[in-house]
Amino acid sequence: MKRLLEYVGYEPGRFNARWISGSEAQKWADTTKVITENIQALGPNKRFSK
Amino acid sequence: MNKVTENLRKTAAKLLQDKEVDLVIGYGLGSEAVRTQPVFVTSPEDVEKLVWNPFCVNGLTKYLSDLKTHPGKIAVVVKGCDSRGIWRLTQDNIIPRDKVVVIGIPCAGQLSYPKLASKIDVSGQLNDVEEKGEDIVIKTTKGDFTVKRSEVALDKCAACEHHNPVVADHVVGDSINAAPTPDSYDEVKKFEEMSAEEKAKFWLGQFSRCIRCYACRNTCPGCTCRECVFDTIKPDWVGKEVNIEENELFHLTRAFHLAGRCVDCGECDRVCPMDIPIRLLNKKLLKDCKELFSMDTPGSAEEGGSVLGQYRLEDPEEFM
Repeated sequence: MKRLLEYVGYEPGRFNARWISGSEAQKWADTTKVITENIQALGPNKRFSK
Repeated sequence: MNKVTENLRKTAAKLLQDKEVDLVIGYGLGSEAVRTQPVFVTSPEDVEKLVWNPFCVNGLTKYLSDLKTHPGKIAVVVKGCDSRGIWRLTQDNIIPRDKVVVIGIPCAGQLSYPKLASKIDVSGQLNDVEEKGEDIVIKTTKGDFTVKRSEVALDKCAACEHHNPVVADHVVGDSINAAPTPDSYDEVKKFEEMSAEEKAKFWLGQFSRCIRCYACRNTCPGCTCRECVFDTIKPDWVGKEVNIEENELFHLTRAFHLAGRCVDCGECDRVCPMDIPIRLLNKKLLKDCKELFSMDTPGSAEEGGSVLGQYRLEDPEEFM
């Protein structure tokens, strides 16, 4: 899915998929933090606002 | 009349006479010289309607899905690329293998209607076609025309994995010895290398033209859901409006539903009235599935199924 979205022009990192178990609280928190930071760096999705 | 047509009619007449099948789906002459249309033959007297020529572009396997409740057995004419659709349908349990009699025709490549129509007067009726190597002589009621195969061939035929059908109960015509030319995915690679902005510009331009006629879905031997998510109103899973956002969602969903299942027959591209390069999306997923799961083109063999519908311990896990 990530590959397909990047193929049609979504920026790399806009879409993320991770496998985290319900018992991996720390991993969940760390991953969310990293992804949020990365997406904030990308800025708003301007794909349809032309 | 060419030999293949003659043998095709004989085979079809015998199948119908022996009551082995009660319906033969094949190609018949079309409204213009270089068109054919699907014909449904139910009696031995009508086999004269069947033809084989280089204009048999349609894939006919999808009709088996529409006719899955047909009480008798059905014979269907397939080329190499279409024949993969037979295994798609049987693997998906759409129709049992023993309800279908496959008439396979080895195919050296078909000719494109738009390309022919831009070169010659196609408005007459077809009398005969002669293939002399690279030259093809098309004899019509509006005159005879000679065209070069390379100038009018279907784009998809430039790369052909199966000139000979992968499945056939009856083979009509001589098998073709030309080496298969598997797709190199050069066009997909070209797109992969573009920047996100370039890709977005290209694809949004394409999706914006989509009129949501669903011809691509209707012709696809992989699109056989009893109820399609894009038709369902209760619950209203996805929007039905024709706008760029909904169109993109449609195309990406459709492509992903076919990931690892698309038999790469190229029918979606051919039927699109807006000339959207739909197959280029499916090709990307084919390329990825081949790289990630080292699979063959779906439909190449009787056994298989879809890579995304199976689990193996050694499956790659890109994001773990």
